[in-house]
Amino acid sequence: MTIFAELLSEQWAYRELLVRMTARDLLLRYKQTVMGFGWAIFMPLVNTAIFSVIFTRVATIDVGTAYPVYAFCGLVAWNFFASALRFSVTSLTSNPSLVTKVYFPREIFPFSAVLVSVVDLAVALGVLAVVMAYYGVLAPHASLLLLPAVVTVLIVFTSAAALFLSMANLFYRDVKYLFEIVIAVWMFATSVVYPIGRVGGRLGALLALNPLTHIVDAFRDVLIAGQAPAPAFWVTAAASIVLLGAAWAAFHRAEFTFAENL
Amino acid sequence: MSAVRVSGVWKKFRRGERQDSLRDLVPALIARGFGRRAPEGLAKQEFWALRDLSFELQPGEALGIIGPNGAGKSTLLKLLTKILRPNRGEISLQGRLGALIEVSAGFHPDLTGRENVYLQGAIMGMARAEIKTKFDAIVDFAGVEEFIDTPVKRYSSGMNARLGFAIAAHLDPDVLLIDEVLSVGDVGFQEKCVTRMRELIARGTPLIFVSHNLTAVVDLCTRAILIDHGVVQYDGMPADAVVAFRQSRRSESAVTAAPDSPIRITDVTLRRGDGEPSPLFQTGGPMTIRVGYKAQRPIDGAAIAIDVHSADGVYCTGINTRMDRCTLGTLSGEGAVELAIPRLALLPGCYTISAGILDPAGLRPLDLHARAYPFSVASDRRDFGFVYLEHNWRHDGSQQTTARRRVRATAGAIQEELG
Repeated sequence: MTIFAELLSEQWAYRELLVRMTARDLLLRYKQTVMGFGWAIFMPLVNTAIFSVIFTRVATIDVGTAYPVYAFCGLVAWNFFASALRFSVTSLTSNPSLVTKVYFPREIFPFSAVLVSVVDLAVALGVLAVVMAYYGVLAPHASLLLLPAVVTVLIVFTSAAALFLSMANLFYRDVKYLFEIVIAVWMFATSVVYPIGRVGGRLGALLALNPLTHIVDAFRDVLIAGQAPAPAFWVTAAASIVLLGAAWAAFHRAEFTFAENL
Repeated sequence: MSAVRVSGVWKKFRRGERQDSLRDLVPALIARGFGRRAPEGLAKQEFWALRDLSFELQPGEALGIIGPNGAGKSTLLKLLTKILRPNRGEISLQGRLGALIEVSAGFHPDLTGRENVYLQGAIMGMARAEIKTKFDAIVDFAGVEEFIDTPVKRYSSGMNARLGFAIAAHLDPDVLLIDEVLSVGDVGFQEKCVTRMRELIARGTPLIFVSHNLTAVVDLCTRAILIDHGVVQYDGMPADAVVAFRQSRRSESAVTAAPDSPIRITDVTLRRGDGEPSPLFQTGGPMTIRVGYKAQRPIDGAAIAIDVHSADGVYCTGINTRMDRCTLGTLSGEGAVELAIPRLALLPGCYTISAGILDPAGLRPLDLHARAYPFSVASDRRDFGFVYLEHNWRHDGSQQTTARRRVRATAGAIQEELG
């Protein structure tokens, strides 16, 4: 437990740097772009349009609400996860001068990558509200009070993966290529654009173990269906916290070898 | 309590490329699982960069660290800044460390100078409010007011380094770590840096200064350690450490003579006024250089030449017996020629002497020990440059002729004034 006290106190001591690095990444990401934050919602919107055509015209499925709302909600959550990890994977390797020349807690790199995506997520959730209003499903459910908990679990799980991936990519550069493949497959193994429960059978049982499905479903539960998340979500929440602790401890153990291995 | 304590520090590195693709991971894991590799020992291709290194730094001390390339100086710096962690031993450091190393490492080319000051400041551990209050001083120190809202990718490398140094210089650290700052910027800026360093030293901030500029080490530091092959070879007065360093280099410097040369230099000794051989001299003090020779056969009309270079390679002076119209006669058997310098006109720093015997035609050396004999000059004088000019100041007074005040002060009197 002392290690976690140490990690948290160090992170607290460097909180200004975390904010600065996040501000830097935000600034850099949208500097010299015309659309700016528009890019944060562009991709989920395009995907929503594509999957809406597929699942309302070609292979019609019932998702219990307007399909575009269903898909956009799933894509907003998924897009946060995928883009946060995409930036995290190379967050250490793309800052070699900082990693090899200056000391500060290295977690700042993957964490700021995740935080930048949190800003995007906030923007995207605002757009989701507009989409829901357009389809007439925007309602002030009491379950909205649980949204911060759901978002927190998503961030915790993403951070755990971000710590692990950024560290792994520093030691083995294969990771970033492998990541692209895994993330592409993972999206269709999660109930992002269709309810994964429809898969059924042994594959379905296997897919039910996917923690992301429970988190994405929880988003829809609290935002659209107006109900509390399923028990599986709370199990995922507990597992995510344990995972973050483990990933952080492993990262901390390895961070003193980063400079030698970059 | 010591400001910095390094006790029994060992650090090893791996030679060559490490495997960093997954293809190599499996064999590596198997090797690790089965091979009984003692974590304390050295595996194949590993070497110790630092071996059992220990020293302490007290508040108010300015410690110079010198040594040849590859001695372990950079490794030590990275250990002190916590970028690397020792394999064995411990490093403890009281308070905030200010490192004037890689002062612009955190700069991002696409951000403006202003944005980078805040970013780099945060990287160095400054709070936003602290940077805000020091912002103007930092920009002023760096001299980049006009360009502060320009992306640093448009900065010259000098501006970049100056801005970085300015941020670091305003950190108000508890321990200051400096690596070759004197290579940053132009002369004016370097003077600013040295002034700032002296300010911090005067305030009692303990300082560690790693440099190849031996003159600067002698000038700024109160103590110096010489590191070679990862071990502390000497710990003591800066001038003595520099001498030890020079002596360790001596065996590697060029000693050239034609294989069939009829005469060779056997030894060169530098002596102080009291006749004691010494590598340390005083500005304005006496120095005697004695060149011993051994001739295979008698040689007529040969000349002895002495050159002095500064540590950074500037040719300070060259003298020889021929130009001084001093005829040595016939050199035969074993003997020695002495050059007496009554008042050494060199300012504090590190120098090397080359000794040579020139053939009668003066065309080529019969034997040459190039930059083989190092010595240091110490003094309480703080003039600039290499050469000490004996001098007097005189003030011829103002327009009021009635009481013409004459101010005559010898250099020594001014010296006393300045303390």
